Amino acid sequence: MKFNSNAILEELEAEVRQLILTASYLQKEDPELLLITPGVGKWSVIQILEHLNSYGRYYLPAIEKSLQSHKPPKENFTPGWFGNYFMRIMRPGADGKIRNKMTSPKDHRPPANPDIKPVMDNFMNQHQQLLNLLEMAKQKNIGATRTPISISRFIKLKVGDTFRFLIAHEQRHFVQIANTIHEIQGVTGKFQSALQAIQHSPVFSHD
Amino acid sequence: MDPLDQLRNFISAVKILNDKEWEVFSAIWQPFECKRKTVLTAAGETEGHLYFVLEGLQRAFYIGDDQKEATIVFTYPSSFSGVADSFLTQTISKYFFETLTASKFLRTTYRQLEQLMNDHASIQQMVLKLTAFALKGVLERQIEIQCFSAEEKFRSLLKRSPHVLQIIPHKYLASYLGIDPATFSKLLGSVRIE
Repeated sequence: MKFNSNAILEELEAEVRQLILTASYLQKEDPELLLITPGVGKWSVIQILEHLNSYGRYYLPAIEKSLQSHKPPKENFTPGWFGNYFMRIMRPGADGKIRNKMTSPKDHRPPANPDIKPVMDNFMNQHQQLLNLLEMAKQKNIGATRTPISISRFIKLKVGDTFRFLIAHEQRHFVQIANTIHEIQGVTGKFQSALQAIQHSPVFSHD
Repeated sequence: MDPLDQLRNFISAVKILNDKEWEVFSAIWQPFECKRKTVLTAAGETEGHLYFVLEGLQRAFYIGDDQKEATIVFTYPSSFSGVADSFLTQTISKYFFETLTASKFLRTTYRQLEQLMNDHASIQQMVLKLTAFALKGVLERQIEIQCFSAEEKFRSLLKRSPHVLQIIPHKYLASYLGIDPATFSKLLGSVRIE
């Protein structure tokens, strides 16, 4: 399995923009809605976003570092075995549902009551930065440089795989966000359609 | 028709480039295509591309408070597309730009176009003219938004671009006119266009 490097980076950019769009709708939601946890031990929307931010704080600098490499771009990108494996277990199914439950590592569990504004601002800033990194990556060999994953510095992914894995992880949690809002009040129209666009995005059909 | 011929036809309405100028201008365009509902520019980004639409329908929109969404512009063949103000000023876009149907484009980057504008006065004049006509359209629309009733806005749109009823979903047209989708349906059933 191989992809055109530029095409896959363009697709990932579109995925990230879809996440920004969906988060923009969330930003305009009633703030109360973002703070409610649907049940004991479950996260509020803002906690889910803060969980994603905590990964960004690790991965964005790590990706930036691996993009310092001076290896020129290659036309095609072949995902690595680990990269594909992590991406597959992360991403929601083609129907936009999550079957395999996972537990988040301790150091990525969000605080009980994070403030809305800093979490939202951080989310938006990180995603603009992610778009910049994807743009930078077009000038690099995304199959050569490697980034250690957050749970083990011994497992390193090609930077192209790190992007795919990171974005699949976010999409997974946006399904959780939709479920959370649904449990609280029933999903509103626009958010629903933005979410459907995520579920029908090309990343889910990369087989 | 060849995509580049379509582009040449389109710009010839505002500026005729000689063969030498056309040669450098046509060299900066690359084909690009994507599926429906692809977000090509997000709010917060700076628009890096100028698109020339070959196929499909696109829109730029703003998300306001209470999730109120304003569709600010539609584009379809043959016209330029992208977030124009962000592209020309190279400042952050307030708008999202997305495809509504599967789309094909020619596209170029700001850097490439800027280079040509610096080197060729005629290309700069062409861009100025295109921008000027776009500005004229925006100001006219400003009047419609501020002074026209829902029915007048509806009539004016159909007079200017009757074909949009067939190609653009009505909920987006209602958002473009700033009227309620239910009002839009009512007007569609009651207003007679001569």
